[in-house]
Amino acid sequence: MTVNHVAVSISSSKLSGAPSSRPSLAWRRARGIAALLVLLGASGARALSQQPTNPQDQLKQLSLEQLGNLEVTTKSKTPEQVWKTAAAIFVITQDDIRRSGAASIPEALRLAPGVEVARISGDEWSIGIRGFGSRLARSVLVLIDGRSVYNTLEAGTYWEVQDTVMQDIDRIEIIRGPGGTIWGPNAVDGVINIITKNSKDTQGTLVTAGGGDEEQGMSSIRYGGSNSDGLSYRVYGKEFNRNSEYHSDGNNYDHWKAIQGGFRMDWAKSQRDTFTLQGDIYDERTGEYVQLINYSAPYVQNVTGYADLSGGNILGRWTRTFSQGKDIQLQVYYDKTNRIELNFGDLRNTFDIDYLQRAYLGPRNHLSWGLGARASHGHELAPTTGLYFLPDSRTDQLYTAFIQDDISLVPDRLTLEVGTKLLHTNYTGVEPEPSARLLWTPSSTQTLWLAATRAVRTPSDVEEDFYLTGYIGTAPNGQPYFARFNANPNFQSEILDGYELGYRRLAGKNVYFDFAGFFNDYHNLFSEDIIGAPFEETDPAPPHFLLPADFGNGLEGTTTGLEIAPEWKITSFWRLHGSYSFLHMSIRPGPDSLDVGTSPIVNGSSPQHQVLAQSSFDLPKQTAFDIDFRYVSALPGISIPAYTTANTRIARTFGHHLELSFVGQNLFQPHHVEFEADNGPDVAIKRSFYGALVWKSKGN
Amino acid sequence: MFCSSRLRSSDSRRSLRFWRACRIALFIALIFVCVGFPSAANAQQAKPQEYQVKAVYLYNFSKFVTWPANSIQGDTFTVCVLGPDPFGPFLDTTLANETIGNRPLVAKRISDFHEISGCQILFISASEAAHVNEILSPIEKSSVLTVSDIPSFTNSGGMIGFELIDNRVRFDVNLAAAEKAGLNLSSQLLKVATDVKNAPGAGGMKP
Repeated sequence: MTVNHVAVSISSSKLSGAPSSRPSLAWRRARGIAALLVLLGASGARALSQQPTNPQDQLKQLSLEQLGNLEVTTKSKTPEQVWKTAAAIFVITQDDIRRSGAASIPEALRLAPGVEVARISGDEWSIGIRGFGSRLARSVLVLIDGRSVYNTLEAGTYWEVQDTVMQDIDRIEIIRGPGGTIWGPNAVDGVINIITKNSKDTQGTLVTAGGGDEEQGMSSIRYGGSNSDGLSYRVYGKEFNRNSEYHSDGNNYDHWKAIQGGFRMDWAKSQRDTFTLQGDIYDERTGEYVQLINYSAPYVQNVTGYADLSGGNILGRWTRTFSQGKDIQLQVYYDKTNRIELNFGDLRNTFDIDYLQRAYLGPRNHLSWGLGARASHGHELAPTTGLYFLPDSRTDQLYTAFIQDDISLVPDRLTLEVGTKLLHTNYTGVEPEPSARLLWTPSSTQTLWLAATRAVRTPSDVEEDFYLTGYIGTAPNGQPYFARFNANPNFQSEILDGYELGYRRLAGKNVYFDFAGFFNDYHNLFSEDIIGAPFEETDPAPPHFLLPADFGNGLEGTTTGLEIAPEWKITSFWRLHGSYSFLHMSIRPGPDSLDVGTSPIVNGSSPQHQVLAQSSFDLPKQTAFDIDFRYVSALPGISIPAYTTANTRIARTFGHHLELSFVGQNLFQPHHVEFEADNGPDVAIKRSFYGALVWKSKGN
Repeated sequence: MFCSSRLRSSDSRRSLRFWRACRIALFIALIFVCVGFPSAANAQQAKPQEYQVKAVYLYNFSKFVTWPANSIQGDTFTVCVLGPDPFGPFLDTTLANETIGNRPLVAKRISDFHEISGCQILFISASEAAHVNEILSPIEKSSVLTVSDIPSFTNSGGMIGFELIDNRVRFDVNLAAAEKAGLNLSSQLLKVATDVKNAPGAGGMKP
């Protein structure tokens, strides 16, 4: 569990161990130059070999069967839908995920511009979109196939339990900026939409197995089948075992073991009706190092152990498509999440129902509207007196309604989208989330868009029903001294008014770039407030000094930034892509704020500059070679230095069935810190390697 | 004193980092050597682009489909592309210098489906997905082979629908729709199709 910086934080000095034994400089230089020559030689040979013949002639020689077995490169990143979206959307495709070597969903998110992914330890990440990176990313909404995985107890996403077979992910759509009108509460800084493949596209058997020094063993098996009636299905199982990262104190607590299984069924009953039924079940053990706080001695116990995380979900969706852009969709799901950590537990059951309808009103108006309801019942476990929820059992409710009209002002050229969500939770009255977006496509190779939107992050149990104590020290008279965040039933929604613009351009056939800029204006942001003078508290016993505090709405401010994501297909076999993201955060205490001084930490927990440069090569002999470099600037608020590192992957396909790959991650240093640890010294992420094989049956 | 020692240590760390980068370059080079070095001879095996292959499919369809004798009126055999052209130069280069009977194969871009008359093959661009029914119903009995990569195109009454399976271009066929239009699809074509539907889609007969 994330314990925020309680009142006083002592910044520990960061000592980075420098390796001592180094081969002679001359030998190293010679090796480097040799390697460069080898690489240059490779590209030179390729350039010379291009022949001026009509490539279509060769293809025309092939039989229909051979043609169907030919692997092709597909146009990436610019499908019509993305091209015509008046929002800063980025799509990570299955191909991108595979070629990145990412072994988990959070690692794959590093591919998107404007997203900050910092690995806290082996089994925890800090993720933010356009700022506000934190363990739970409380203002980012994450959905897997339409199911919200946002935890309403603590506000945010537990990344370590969001998983599936990586090969079954169709794409990850990331919308930077507020998306409340469509997606509802907590889609403030952005939305992450993880979409798995339709089961008709995962037919046959797929087996994966791999391992290395950090990813110590990972395997999965999936089988898909279908009948002639349009019904298809898949079932899968996966497991992995992950080693701990580097700990300067030798307390290697972050081992991670997980097992998961699931299924998906899709039935295209007719061209009108399609049904999807899917579900997952998982069980994990994640190592953690937490503080247990008690009012009686010992006041602080640092304990190492495992969190037990398990759960399951089942989702059904029915879509009926009428002619002319009219359709309706009904979705229902149930999600069970059990989280038993060393210092708290949450047993949660969530039911959700959503209805969506779209229709053309005349030739120029495409209207969408929808209704939704969610009930989430949680039961909290509190093994210590220092951290508990009161009441410890309760049902959170959410009701939403939304309407949006896409108005075609000039057909195929200028579109205006206006709409709003109205939402109601048990903590808030009715809150609107309106938006207006203008999309201009002056030609088929350019798109320009503007947006003004409001989104809210609704209060959660962690602000309204939660008591969290930190130990400060012992007074001269021997009495212990604590600070406690008390429940604040008056916590209000955090509000964002976002102003954005974006420009996409296809320059020639081979160069594409996407630019987005934003100015975000935040109000009522989460703060850590001192609400009174220290006093002697006798209940709970034994007597102790207490500094009373609570979570308030005392911060406000702005963020500005831009993201540029270019892509250059140099040749049919070589693609360069990447992104640059700039962020300036100016969050400060509002008038009358009682905040203890957290704004420098908030401002300094997200990188100001991020650069990602990727090269994707398709080599002969069915070999794919990828390398990416990333630079992340310092996080001064939590004393994390800037770093540059690289990942690489080389994979070769043998026939149509077998692929072998070799992945090296975080290559530039033995280990580097990406974020502040919850407790104890910061965890450094190690350089690591793994090999993997993927075997597919035919027709897969 | 403190400052200067810090500076020096960061300097040496930087040079260290550079040499590590070199070591990694070597590591990558070694992989190249192990996996098989790219040579001039096999460099041209680079994968074709999706629409290069789709263009060749359209050409093949002209060979493996038989049109009713009276249905080809003009001097050319015309492959039409409705909506934004995804083929780039590949459709023209594929059809260049090819003939059916003695009619040269030509590509024609159209922006309105009223221009369909004179097309033997109609490729409907993915952007027209919302209007599939409007496009298909007026021509369901004309002898036009309809092809598209719009998802579930053959369910909507289209004749041949491209799909990408594991980065390979495959297609399914709605045989009933083709027969309704008087087109005869060869058995070789049907054999390699991923699915052959015998019931017409649009306004279909299925319950």
